[in-house]
Amino acid sequence: MDTKSVNHTPGMKSYGLLLLGLFAIVAIEVALTYQHFAPDVLLPWLLILAVLEASIAITYYMHLRYEQPKLVWSLFVSFVFVMIMMGHMFPDAMRLLHLRVIHW
Amino acid sequence: MDDSGMTFHMETGSAMEESPYRIPSLKLGVWLFILSDAVTFGAVLYAYAYLRVGTADWTRPFATSSIINAIIMTVILLVSSVAVLAALEAAREQHRSKCTLWLGITVLLGTIFAVLHLSEWIRMIHEGWRLFQNPTGGPVTVGMTFFCVTGLHLIHIVGGLIALLVVALRYQRGRLQVNHVETVGLYWHFVDIVWMFIFPMIYLMNAK
Repeated sequence: MDTKSVNHTPGMKSYGLLLLGLFAIVAIEVALTYQHFAPDVLLPWLLILAVLEASIAITYYMHLRYEQPKLVWSLFVSFVFVMIMMGHMFPDAMRLLHLRVIHW
Repeated sequence: MDDSGMTFHMETGSAMEESPYRIPSLKLGVWLFILSDAVTFGAVLYAYAYLRVGTADWTRPFATSSIINAIIMTVILLVSSVAVLAALEAAREQHRSKCTLWLGITVLLGTIFAVLHLSEWIRMIHEGWRLFQNPTGGPVTVGMTFFCVTGLHLIHIVGGLIALLVVALRYQRGRLQVNHVETVGLYWHFVDIVWMFIFPMIYLMNAK
């Protein structure tokens, strides 16, 4: 069985182009910030752009695109599951915060 | 390989179970570490996002100079990710000196990032920001979340710099292989990805 690391890579030229793409996303994030949207409007947009950036980095820089699909799905599904569970738990934590007086 | 999923290794003379993901155990271990660390950062950023959106009088501490500093830090970290990829490419081509040079460049960029980060901390501390103190009289959770989230990331940066330095020196001496360069690179990319979330959530969301 071949247990060597994957040797498929996009190449340095592609890495450079992807880097320019990441710079462009950062520029969009900064431009959006100075539109002075309300926090609950700005946050989702910034998170969408951050997820896009992270997806590019994970797929191409971390070479997950060239790994076994079952590894990709194992990592992805478990992470998303935990994040969804946190999404369910945190609102409850906020509710508990208002049930008692906290002196910061 | 037979139907039982076992492989007979001639070198060791033993039957070994096939790796489920067809990657070396070192790389699988690093992926699992990254997964668990991603959950840690996910929890911290989740908590921060709830506090940030849920607090009406949240203080915005970052002037344009701080945002420019954070943009420079972001650019440096992104370029360092490409530098570590260049090191990996050199390692795959068996160019040890070239690989060490690129790893050295990555360490240099990471160090500049850490210095800029610390300078931002020092500026905020001079302004009166503490873990439980807001100099403007607003919610103390502003300083708390800033120092905790960026501090946790900075610890990861310092850890990554040490790991990169050790791998660079040992790889140059022929004591490590390509897969070690690859796995330390994976960790460095992960640290970079975490910053992709910290930069917009902590800095841009709090720009004056």
